[in-house]
Amino acid sequence: MPMELLHDLKVAHRQDARARQDFVSALRGYMLNDMAAGMKQRYQEEVAPAMAAGLGGRLPTQDDVHDAMKGDLYFKFYSSVRYNAQEMVWRSVIPGIEAALPEMVARAATVQDRAGGTLTLDPTLAPPENVTAVDVHLMPGVYAAPDTPSAGAIYDNGLAVFSAGFMGRELDDIGMSMANYVRKRFPDFAPTDILDCGCTVGHNTLAWARTYPQARVSGIDVSSSVLRYAHGRAGSLGIAAHFRQMNATALDYPDASFDVVFSSMFLHELSVKDIKLFFAEAHRVLRPGGLLINMELPPNQALDPYDQFYLDWDCYYNAEPYYRAFRDQDYAGLTRAGGFAADDYLQFTVPQYTYMSDDDFTEAVQRPAAIDGQTGRLSATLQWFGFGAWKR
Amino acid sequence: MLPLEAGGRRPAFFDQDGMDQLLSMVLELAAELWVVRERVFVVEAVLQTKGVAVSEAIEAFVPTAEQQATLAAMRADMTAQLFRSLNRDHRPVR
Repeated sequence: MPMELLHDLKVAHRQDARARQDFVSALRGYMLNDMAAGMKQRYQEEVAPAMAAGLGGRLPTQDDVHDAMKGDLYFKFYSSVRYNAQEMVWRSVIPGIEAALPEMVARAATVQDRAGGTLTLDPTLAPPENVTAVDVHLMPGVYAAPDTPSAGAIYDNGLAVFSAGFMGRELDDIGMSMANYVRKRFPDFAPTDILDCGCTVGHNTLAWARTYPQARVSGIDVSSSVLRYAHGRAGSLGIAAHFRQMNATALDYPDASFDVVFSSMFLHELSVKDIKLFFAEAHRVLRPGGLLINMELPPNQALDPYDQFYLDWDCYYNAEPYYRAFRDQDYAGLTRAGGFAADDYLQFTVPQYTYMSDDDFTEAVQRPAAIDGQTGRLSATLQWFGFGAWKR
Repeated sequence: MLPLEAGGRRPAFFDQDGMDQLLSMVLELAAELWVVRERVFVVEAVLQTKGVAVSEAIEAFVPTAEQQATLAAMRADMTAQLFRSLNRDHRPVR
């Protein structure tokens, strides 16, 4: 059965839609595990030796790998299946959402204030070009109906299909893994104000509230639609979270307002210029002793050329224009550009919190960061990557 | 209406004209086939629990004019989805 959402804004998809979602999820699971392994084998056995002969002893870059793979039939089928599956993710959920939207709006109104959370929209905030110029990760209609929670619903339902079971039963494994990394690794750190930037539907925002129940948790995004959905979703789940429509590059919070500034899968949607603006803002709104922490894909400099190319597939073919430019950066350098001291940088890898025992996770977080080709990559051996910095 | 297609040109991974569209069709067809297979499975399982021997009834079934019109509309929807990629521009990758 497809992964059913566990809150009151879920859509009662019809049997045929559920079967289609299941198929797309299974297709993605096959592609991400079996086809990815087959493609790598193809690279190692056929493509890499032929490519090396043309490089005259020079080590390959990811562009060399990409160029060589473009001519390979396995790559063509892998890419075509992956691209089509991405389109099919959204197509499998949108018609059911459209039919359910009026009822979803009514239901959200009854649950959104249940836990004391708030929603503050800013009608004067123009959506920035990085989210309007392209349909990011091929998701249609982000701004098609900003006065409804439609984009939030498409993202949440789509993620349930897209994640193919790799992102947790409540789609919050990233947030749970990051928050619990902080809790386990820094047991004396007791944040009272936590901000999630680029929070979309708040699925990872709420993980912080679950991990630090005494803290006041806030989430911001530029899209009113995803925030409307996030507000209803959080209320339904009985968690107080405070959502505001805001751009992370210009935070409307006073200096020293937060102990944690968090983001997940967010930086790769920004230009490097905007990442630096965001980090400077994060530094400003953090209190001394506060933590900037970002879950992201690992940096290219830590990976071999094939794995760089594999992760940057999204940049070339999945409407993620900033993905590679971000991953080509020195992440520590980005935090320094935001005003954080070099000595205060941290980076780590963690296994998936919601897939293991608390004890096993506790042991795992004591290990040093070990970045390899599986880091940040949806597969059966997934490890999340995180980095950030403490504010002095 | 919420849009179903993302903006921009789709990548053409294959050198031969039409291969990319053809693969989209194959995958849509596979998805549709799975939907139907699962539905048939559910139908037979449900009927089984009700004690209905459905196989003989299926062989003897004759649709009414109204049912035939419903089936025709369903086929038209399926066909439109099958050939959706023909309406899109593709950018060569190589």
